[in-house]
Amino acid sequence: MELFKPEFGLVFWMFFVFVVLFAILAKYAWPFIIRNIDERAEFIDKGVAYSQEAKMQLDHATENAQALLADAHKQQMEILREAAQMKSQIVEEAKKAASEEAKKVMDAAAVSIEQARKESEQQFRNEVSAFALQIAEKLMRKELSNDKTQLEMIDKLLNDIETKN
Amino acid sequence: MKKLIICSIGILFFIVGTTFTVVASEEEEPFDAKEAIFEHLLDNYGWEVPFSHSTRIPLPVIIRDNEGSWHVFSSKKLEHGSNYNGFYIASEGDNKGKIESLDADGNKYRPLDISITKNVFALLIAALVVCICIFPLARFYRRNRFKAPRKGLGAIEYVIDMVYSDVIRPILGAEARRFAPYLLTLFFFILAINILGMIVVFPGGANLSGNISITLVLALCTFLVVNFMGTKHYWKDLFWPEVPMWMKCPVPIMPVIEVFGAITKPVALMIRLFANMLGGHLIVLVLISLIFIFGTMGAAVLAGTTVLSVLFSVFMNLLHFLICFIQAYVFTMLSALFISLARVKGEKEIKE
Repeated sequence: MELFKPEFGLVFWMFFVFVVLFAILAKYAWPFIIRNIDERAEFIDKGVAYSQEAKMQLDHATENAQALLADAHKQQMEILREAAQMKSQIVEEAKKAASEEAKKVMDAAAVSIEQARKESEQQFRNEVSAFALQIAEKLMRKELSNDKTQLEMIDKLLNDIETKN
Repeated sequence: MKKLIICSIGILFFIVGTTFTVVASEEEEPFDAKEAIFEHLLDNYGWEVPFSHSTRIPLPVIIRDNEGSWHVFSSKKLEHGSNYNGFYIASEGDNKGKIESLDADGNKYRPLDISITKNVFALLIAALVVCICIFPLARFYRRNRFKAPRKGLGAIEYVIDMVYSDVIRPILGAEARRFAPYLLTLFFFILAINILGMIVVFPGGANLSGNISITLVLALCTFLVVNFMGTKHYWKDLFWPEVPMWMKCPVPIMPVIEVFGAITKPVALMIRLFANMLGGHLIVLVLISLIFIFGTMGAAVLAGTTVLSVLFSVFMNLLHFLICFIQAYVFTMLSALFISLARVKGEKEIKE
């Protein structure tokens, strides 16, 4: 049957056409297309991997940032606590220093007051004794305005001296 | 969606219309179904024009007679049984439908015939169609790297990628790039001739892949690629397989089976494509012929068979359209598989 009998002319032309088509396409078309399909697929894969990595890094970054934040918060608290402590300490020290100073000042004041008091007492005494001498002088002058009393006085003084010795 | 509907209606009309051109072309004389069917399935020296059974597009005839001289002339000169320089188209005998001549003693003989027949011309058109599809894409890629083509080029790239990434790469692995040009050419050429065979009017209509010569060449190419690219392990497995000695030494049972297997593989490829495509064409032609066979039984029967036949042939054509694609795919896949089987590596090489 003719349907199942290969025809030489057709086989010849088919072989020719197919081989020529293959040669042309294999030289000028397929390498570019395949290379591009492969490269693009690789490019896309790489891009996806890269973005995944980036996303992971981003996730890590937020995590890191949170850790950092927490750390900073902790440090801040510590610093605040230290500061508070330091403040109270300083206040304490200042109080102590102030009280010492005050005491010193008070002491000094007391000493100077005492001195002033002594001085004024001395002065007062001197003045009093001066007054007393003046008064005594005046009294003496009045008393000793007659001879009799003068003699009595002398006697008395002499007696005193005698008893003393 | 609207475009899709318009498209599918267009395809439907086209298929219905083209089936009617077959109807319209049969007009005269008592209808001989067998002759009409085979005329559409077989090769011709001219290319039939729609709506006219007798007008044909002339094609060049190239023949060499038994004296060794070449003759090139238009097929128009052989139309309607006319004789040109002693050459004529045989109407009966072994060479029916082919060019015959008489030698000096008056005996009939067939000259060496490499005419550009309808099928050869269709082959050229198919090759052109493949080039028109592929080259713009190659040019696009040469200009833009890392860019994806859109629209028509995108569709072609999608098909290429489907064949390359789903068939060639999984089967051939690291060697995919080396064999992809052959396999992709194979796929697109088969697809082109299959689909052109479905168009009934001029640029198509040749029953190419339903012709054993075509599938023979395709299978032969795969056979050559498989055997020329076969590794030494492939050849060792072929002639000295690792089986018990008694199976290969005095009587080479296994080598015979292996060699037989190596030959049946491409033969199966050849027959599969041929039978599938021929079957598709045959069913549609038979369905249409039914109209003419039942046409003599009166108008009501004629109307009934026409409606049924057209509906069935539209359905079969749609199915055949699917088969066109599947057969190209299967041929490519099996070729890739046979190549990968011939590229076997020894255990040593695998370990390395």
